[in-house]
Amino acid sequence: MKLKTSKSKERSNKADEKQKNILEMLKSHGAKIYDDLDNEQFPKFSIPSRSVSNIVYDKKLRQYILGNNTALRSSRNSSQLRSFTQLMWLAFFANRLTKEKKSSTLRDVYYSSQAFAIEFEDQSESDNIIVDLEAITSKPREDFHIFPEERSSIFGDLTIEYTIPGYEGKTMNLSNHPDGYSIGPSLTTAELVDTSAEIVIAIEKGGLFTRFVEEQIDKKFKSVIINTGGQAPRSTRTLLKRLHDEMKLPVIVLTDGDVYGEHIAMVIKSGSANAAHLRELTVPDAKWVGVWATDIEKYKLPTIPMTESDIKRCYDLQKDPRYQDGIWKKELDVFLRLKRKAELEAFSKYGLTNITDKYLPQKLELAKSL
Amino acid sequence: MSSIKEKFNQISPSEFFYSNRDLAGFSNPTRSLYTAVREFVENALDACDQKGILPDVHLIIKAVDPEKSDPKPYVLTVKDNGPGIDSSHIPLAFGTVLYGSKFGLKQARGMFGLGATMAILYGQITTNKPVIVKSSVDGKIQDEFELLLDIQNNKPVIVKHSTKEVSKHGLSVSICLEGDYSKAGNKIRDYVYETSLITPYASISFDDPKGEKFSHPRFVKDIPPPPTIIKPHPHGIDVERIRRMIVESQFEIPTIDDAMIEKVRKDLGLSMKNLSFTGIMDKAKKKWKTLPRQVRVVIALMSFLKMDFDKLMKIKIEDIDMANKKLFYWDFGDSQSKSTDMDPTSPYFKQLTNTVQGEPLTTFLTKRFQRIGPTTALKFAEFAGFKPEKRMGTMTNQELVNLSDSLQKYEDFLAPDPSCLAPLGEKPLEKGIKKFFNPDFTAVVQRPASAYSGFPFIIEMGIAYGGDIKTGGPHVYRYANRIPLLYDEGSDVVLKVVNDTDWGRYKVKGDPPFIIVSHICSTRIPYKTAGKENVADRPEIERELRLGLQYLSRKLAAYMSKRGQADMAKKRANLYAKYIPLIAQFCTELADKKKEPNYKKLLEDENSFESEKVVKKEDEIEN
Repeated sequence: MKLKTSKSKERSNKADEKQKNILEMLKSHGAKIYDDLDNEQFPKFSIPSRSVSNIVYDKKLRQYILGNNTALRSSRNSSQLRSFTQLMWLAFFANRLTKEKKSSTLRDVYYSSQAFAIEFEDQSESDNIIVDLEAITSKPREDFHIFPEERSSIFGDLTIEYTIPGYEGKTMNLSNHPDGYSIGPSLTTAELVDTSAEIVIAIEKGGLFTRFVEEQIDKKFKSVIINTGGQAPRSTRTLLKRLHDEMKLPVIVLTDGDVYGEHIAMVIKSGSANAAHLRELTVPDAKWVGVWATDIEKYKLPTIPMTESDIKRCYDLQKDPRYQDGIWKKELDVFLRLKRKAELEAFSKYGLTNITDKYLPQKLELAKSL
Repeated sequence: MSSIKEKFNQISPSEFFYSNRDLAGFSNPTRSLYTAVREFVENALDACDQKGILPDVHLIIKAVDPEKSDPKPYVLTVKDNGPGIDSSHIPLAFGTVLYGSKFGLKQARGMFGLGATMAILYGQITTNKPVIVKSSVDGKIQDEFELLLDIQNNKPVIVKHSTKEVSKHGLSVSICLEGDYSKAGNKIRDYVYETSLITPYASISFDDPKGEKFSHPRFVKDIPPPPTIIKPHPHGIDVERIRRMIVESQFEIPTIDDAMIEKVRKDLGLSMKNLSFTGIMDKAKKKWKTLPRQVRVVIALMSFLKMDFDKLMKIKIEDIDMANKKLFYWDFGDSQSKSTDMDPTSPYFKQLTNTVQGEPLTTFLTKRFQRIGPTTALKFAEFAGFKPEKRMGTMTNQELVNLSDSLQKYEDFLAPDPSCLAPLGEKPLEKGIKKFFNPDFTAVVQRPASAYSGFPFIIEMGIAYGGDIKTGGPHVYRYANRIPLLYDEGSDVVLKVVNDTDWGRYKVKGDPPFIIVSHICSTRIPYKTAGKENVADRPEIERELRLGLQYLSRKLAAYMSKRGQADMAKKRANLYAKYIPLIAQFCTELADKKKEPNYKKLLEDENSFESEKVVKKEDEIEN
C-alpha cells in the first residue's frame, strides 16, 4: 500500500462531495414531506412510471430510458399509504447508511425494515421499493450503499484508493492476488488512481478468467480482466463505465457463443429495460468481440443444439430496436440459421491455450476496426 | 285339489297404525321419542291458541331406570294451562285412533290429533303401560284417567278413573315409552328452543332426563289473532268431499210421531191450544222464519194433506213422489194406503223438493264454498254445463266427477280467503329473532296471502346478521304452521330457494354469521312425507319464498354495504393512525429536524371527516 498523496486527498474530497450530494438530495425530499405534514397536508410526490408503456429506447443515448409518464404517490390514498411509508423508511434508512458509510445488501434491507415496524411481505416487495427510490432520485442503489450479493471479480494492474471507513486513503494494486479481487462495496466506491492497462477485457465465465490470469493476459495485452459471472451485476457495470470514462480504457466483451452471451454484451453496452430509470450503468462504446455465431463456422467449434427457449429468445431480441443493425443483427440471424451454439470452452478442443494464443489476439486486432 | 280360501278381515284404524307406525314418525326409539314430544307439545299449544290462552307448557322426560343404557323406557309428561278436555270425551280422545276435534278447515299445528294417539299407541306397544290423562275444564275438579287402547277393536279401556279438587284448568298427559334420549336429546332441545322462537307468546320449559332445565319464558304478551274456520275454496275440492257435503245438505223426511208433533206444536206456540188446519197454516206462515227445518217439512206435508194435528197423528207417510207430484200415506183409521196430489206451484212444494232432492246447484255452491256468490255461481254453472237449478241430490256419479273437475278448472274464482290463517306477524317475529340472536341487523317480511291448489298460504320470513349468530351461515330455521322442521332439510323447498341465492350479489361473503327464518302458514302444508319434516316445492310456494327472500336480501345488502363503508372508514382511520406517525418519524430525521411535524390534527380531521361521510350515507339508506 502506498502512502497518501495530495492527489488522493483531492479524490477523497470527490467522494465526500458525492456523499454530500446524495445526503442533500435525501434531505430535500424529507424536508418537503416534513413541511406537508406540518401544514396538515397529506404528503405526496410524483415518481416516473416504470410501466412497460413508459419504457422507450433512446437512440441518442443508445439505451432504454423512461418516458415522461409519472405516477402520483399520495399518503392520502389508503391503498398507497403502506408503500408510501415503506419508501419513506427506505429513504430514511439509505440516509443513515450513506451518513455512516455502511454498506448493506438487498436482503439486509428486507430484514432491517422489521426493526422499524415496516413490514415487507417478501424481499421482492422491498426490492421493488428500492427501485422506486432509484427512479425518484435517478441514482443507482449503490450510491445509497445498497449492494448486490452476487460478486464478480477483477484482476490487472489497477491502483485504487479506498473511501470506505477505516480504509480511507489506503491504496491497493489489483494485480497482487492471482484469484482476482471481488467487486464489492469497497471496490465500487474506491477511487481509481492509476493503471498501465490499455484495455478492459470483460469475460463471461470464471473458468476462463482464471485461464486468462494464468496465461498473463493482463501483461501480454496490457489489460484489466473482469469476470462478469454471467449477466454483469450493476456494480460491475458501474466499474466498467468508470474504467472507460475515468481511465479512458476501451472495453471489449467476450461471451459464450449463444444468444444469451450476445445479450450479456448488449447489457454492458446499453443497459437493460429493468434499469431504464438509471443512466450511469452503460458503456456505449463497449465492443462485443465473440464468440460470434460466424466464429462457430469460422473456427469449426464443437457445438450443441439450441433449445426451444434459446430460439424463442432469438425471436424476442429481433424485435429489440438495438438489434436492428450491425453485428448485433447479423450474428442473431446466423444463430437462428445455425440453431446451434458454442461455449467459450469449446476452443479447448484445439488445446487449452488455443483461446488465449490464437483467438484472443485475432479478436483484439479485429476490435480496433469495429 | 284343495281350494285355498282367502280370509278377508276388516282391521281397525288402531291396528292399521300399529302395523304402519313408521308412517307417522315412530320408526325407531330415537325418532319416536322426538315425535312423541312434538305431538304432545303441539297439541297443548293448539288447545291454548284456540281458546286465546297464553300458553304455559311444561315438558318433562324422565328415565324409568336411569342406570340402564339407551334405548330404555322413559316417562314423557306434557302439562299445559289450556282449556282441558271434558271428562266424557277423554277415553275416546286418548283411547281411540282418528278421534279428534281438529277436522275443520283452518290453520293448526296438527290436523286430526292423530299423532298423540299414535304416541300413546307406541308407548303401550313398547312398555305396556297405560297413558295417564289429567284434565280440568273448570279449574276446580280434575279428572284423572289411566287408559289402555284395545288395538283390535279401536276402543279405550279405562284402567282407573278418579277425581280430585284443583285450582287450575289444563291438561296433563303422561306416557311411558321406549326411547333413546342420548341420541334424540339434541333434536328435542333444538325443537323446544326453535318452538319458543316461533311461539313468543308461550312459556315453554323442559326438564330433561339428565336433570337439566331449559326454560323459555314468553317475551310477547299478545296472542296473534286466532284463525277462523272457513268454508273450502272450490279449487281445493274433490269428488269425495262434494259427496260428503251433499250428504250433509240433505235431510231425511222426519218421522211424524207423537214427539215430532209435540215439537211442531211447541215451536208454533200451540202446545196448549188446538187450532183448525187453516189456523195452523196461518200461524206457521207468521212464524216461518223462526222455524227449524224439520218443522218446516212437517208443515209442508200438512199443507198437502190438509190435516190438523189430531188427524196427523193417525197417519204415516209412505212415500213422497216429487216427479208425479203425489204423496202416499197409510191411514191407521181406515187401515188402507191413500194418496193425495201436491200442487207444484205451492211454496211448500219447493220446500219438500229441497229436502228430498237436495239444494239446487247454485244454492249449494254459494252456501257451501267461499268465494262463490250468486253471480259467480251462475257463470260457473254455464261454464260447467249444468242447469243452475240442477238438484244436488239428483246428480249421477259421472256428473259429480264433472262438477269436481270443473270446479278445479274454472279460473275466475277469487283467491282463497286467508282469514283461516294465523301468521305470527312481523313484529313478534322480529322481536323473537332479536331476543334469540342479538343480531346487528334484522329484517322481517310477511308476504300477502297466496294460494296453491285452493289452499291459502302466507309466507313469513326473517333475516338477521351478526351479533351472537355463529359463522358459516346462512343457518336456516324452517317453520310450518308454527312447527319447527328439524329433519330432512336437504330436500326442503325453503332450502332450495336459499341455496339458489347468490349471496355474493347481496354483499354477503366468506363465512358469514347470518340466519334465515321461514314460516309457511297454510290450511294444508304440502309435506313431502307423513313425518311432517320437509315441504314440497309447489311453484306458488316457491315463488312467494323467493320474493320474500329477495326483499330481505336487498335489505341485508343495504345493511352490508353500510357496514362495509363503516368498516372501510375504520380501517382507513387505523391505517392513517398506524402509518402517518411513521412517515413523520422518518422525514424528521431525513429533513434533519429536531421536532416531529404536527400531524395529529391531520389524523383527527380525517377521522371526523370519514365518520361524517358514513353518517350521511346511513341517512340516505334510511330515506
